[in-house]
Parts: sequence; structure tokens; C-alpha cells
Amino acid sequence: MKWDFASVFDNTDALLAGAAGTLRLFAICLVCGLSLGLVVGLGRYARSKWLYWPATAFVEFFRNTPVLVQILWFYFALPILLPFTINPLAAAALGISLNSAAFSAEIYRGGIQSIDKGQWDGARAIGMGWGQAMRRIILPQAIKRMLPALTNRAIEIFKMSTLASAVAYVELLQQGKLIASLNFNPIEAYTAVAVIFFVFLWPLVQFTYVLERRLGRSE
Amino acid sequence: MAYQWDFTPVVANAPLLAQGLVNTLKITGVSLGCGLVLGLAFALMRLSPRPWLRLPAGFVIEVFRTTPPLVQLFWVFFALPLIAGIELTPFMAAIVTFSIQSGAFFAEVFRAGIQSIERGQWDGARAIGMNHAQAMQRIILPQAIKRMIPAFLERSIELMKTTTLVATIAYADLLFEANEISQKTFRPLETFTVVALIYFVVIFVVSLLARQLERRLAVSGENTVH
Repeated sequence: MKWDFASVFDNTDALLAGAAGTLRLFAICLVCGLSLGLVVGLGRYARSKWLYWPATAFVEFFRNTPVLVQILWFYFALPILLPFTINPLAAAALGISLNSAAFSAEIYRGGIQSIDKGQWDGARAIGMGWGQAMRRIILPQAIKRMLPALTNRAIEIFKMSTLASAVAYVELLQQGKLIASLNFNPIEAYTAVAVIFFVFLWPLVQFTYVLERRLGRSE
Repeated sequence: MAYQWDFTPVVANAPLLAQGLVNTLKITGVSLGCGLVLGLAFALMRLSPRPWLRLPAGFVIEVFRTTPPLVQLFWVFFALPLIAGIELTPFMAAIVTFSIQSGAFFAEVFRAGIQSIERGQWDGARAIGMNHAQAMQRIILPQAIKRMIPAFLERSIELMKTTTLVATIAYADLLFEANEISQKTFRPLETFTVVALIYFVVIFVVSLLARQLERRLAVSGENTVH
């Protein structure tokens, strides 16, 4: 068995296009997932049952179904109900964003609940409304506690982006598949893809460890 | 023009879906069993004072935790057979990948559980003449495992969701059958909706059981680790 990475290096352009696709999908899902998650998380924390129940149903449904099933549903099933088609990027972005929203909603809710009741009382005492207290007093403190869990979510989103290859979206794994089938070099092609992911994600994971340790000390 | 929902083609293929669900549960069960054994082994290696045990275990855990499971599965299915000169069925490739992958995650759960046990327990075990292995087996692990149960259940649910990836290498799990049926009957909306609901019901029931167990452990004053 002789390893020959030349055939992979010849296809650097294809891998770069894949990396761009992975990063684009990651950025979309990170922004949409984490911001929608905040909305849903606040809904889960709300006292009104009109907010609480829909938010809870959303969280339970998306946390308890596999992301790949969601992506395929958005790609193959949803267009039948809509007057327009859905491209692979949209299907993958919808599936991964909604799934991440459900998971991050629970992080936000847990973070907000962990803030001492006295902080609310203090905010009220100086005349703040609920929205002001949440924005100026509660969230800034809660976000700090949630940071390690949220960076973990970001790492998960990055890993989930590979599922978009199932609907033929051009991302790193999809390009690896392409290179492997054109050059008959699955060993080198898939090893290269795995190494690229590791190189992207390892610093992020280490950063999360540092964050956890540092916050653990200051709390 | 409103779409006419029609579930009869899906219902007609119920036996295929049932077979798919059985295959999904089979992969989940086997990977879970192997993953737990591997996870304990990885954790004990990683906590070992010997570098030749600690470093390889740390390497495997880090690699399998920081690369996407689908990339791992493709590597094991397409690249490993060429390197090792063996043939792997999609089922075997899935078992190998998901066992090591969940093993890497279980290892961290085991490690957190073992490290959460107070030092005094080790000292006590030593004081009555136990060596490291005896203390681990008889004193530390039995206490640690109880604390780890919620994290184990959570990981098992993740594992079950991850098994859907085998559909991409043509193993006939529930998701793969869904794809087949939707292409055969031209009813993707109904098929994928039903399959999503089947996954939801199975996983939701397990989640509820996990939460109840966690609550019960919390009532009995047990710490849990995540």
C-alpha cells in the first residue's frame, strides 16, 4: 500500500471550493440557529402559555429527530407544499439551523434561569421593565455562563455541515467524494478531508476547554 | 390548488419501514454495547500514569470527538478496507465507526465520573489493603457509574440519531427505507413525514425515560456528571 497525496493536491481548487461551501453553510446556520434559539429560549422561559407551548413543542421536536431526516424532509418533502423549489443549501441550512435553534434554546433558558432572582429584583427596583432588565442585566451575565455550551454548539454545527453532502451541496466531504471517485484514491481523499476538519476544529475545541476552565474558576 | 395528502402508499410499505426500524435499533444497540466497553477502556487508559497508554487513548478520543461522524464513516467504509485489505459491509463499517465514536464520547463521561469521586474513597480503599485495580473495580466505578447514568442516556440518544448516517452508504436503516419508498411511490412528503414522526416517537420516549431517571437520581441526592 503506497500513499500518494499528489492526486489530492492536484485537486486543491475543488477542496477550496468545498471549504468555502462548508464555511458558508456554517456561518448561515451559526447566525440563524443561535439567534432563533434565543427567541425560542425566551419563549420557553415565558409565563404566557401561548409562548411557552409552541416553543416547547419546537424544542422537543427538533431535539428528538435526527438532523439528516430533517434535511431530507426539507429537500424532498417541503417543496411539494411550496410553489417553488428548494436548493440543497436552503434545505441543509433549514435543517441544521432549526436543530441548532432547539439545542441552543435550552442553553439560553438554562443560562437565564441560573441568574439569581435578586438581579431581577434589583433591576425592577431601579425602574426597569422586563425587556430592559433582560437586555441590560440578565443576558449580559447569563451569556458569560453560556459561552462554553454555545461554542460547543458551534462545533456541532460545523460537524453537522457535512450532512449537506447527502443532498449534494458542495462542501468539503462532497468534494472529497468527487475527488475519490474521479481519481480512485479514497484513502488519500477521505484522509485529507478528515485532516482538514480536524485542523479547523481542533483549535476551537481547545479554546472551549480553556474557556470552561477559566469560567469555572471565576464563578 | 391544495395538495392531496395520501398515506395509503406509505401504509402499504409498513413492513419495509418496520424492517428499517429494526435495523436502526440493531446498529444502535450493537454500537452502544461496543461503545461502552471501548469507552471504559479508553477512559482507564487516559487516566493511567503510563504515557504509552495515556497518549494513544487521548489521541483517539480527540480525533473522534473533533471530526464529523459522516467523514469517519466514509473513511472507514471507503478507505479502511483498502488499507487493511479486508472487506467491510455497510453494517460492519457503521458498527466500527459508531462504536469508536461513541466510545470516545463515553470515555469522557467515564473520566468525569471517575474524577468526581472524592479522594477519600481512594484513601479508604488503600487503607483496607486494596490496590489500584481493586479500588477502581469495587469502590470507585460502582459509585461513579450511578452519577454517569444521565450522561450515558443522553449520549445513547445522540448515537441513535447519528445512526441515520448509514443510509448514505446504503445500509437499509429506517431513513434508507424512507428514501426507497418515496422514490417508488412518488410520495416523499408523506413518507418523510411518517419517518420523521417514527424517529420522534422512539427518541422522545427514551428522552422522557432519561429525564425521569435523572429526576429520581436528583431526589436521592446523587450528583450527576455531564
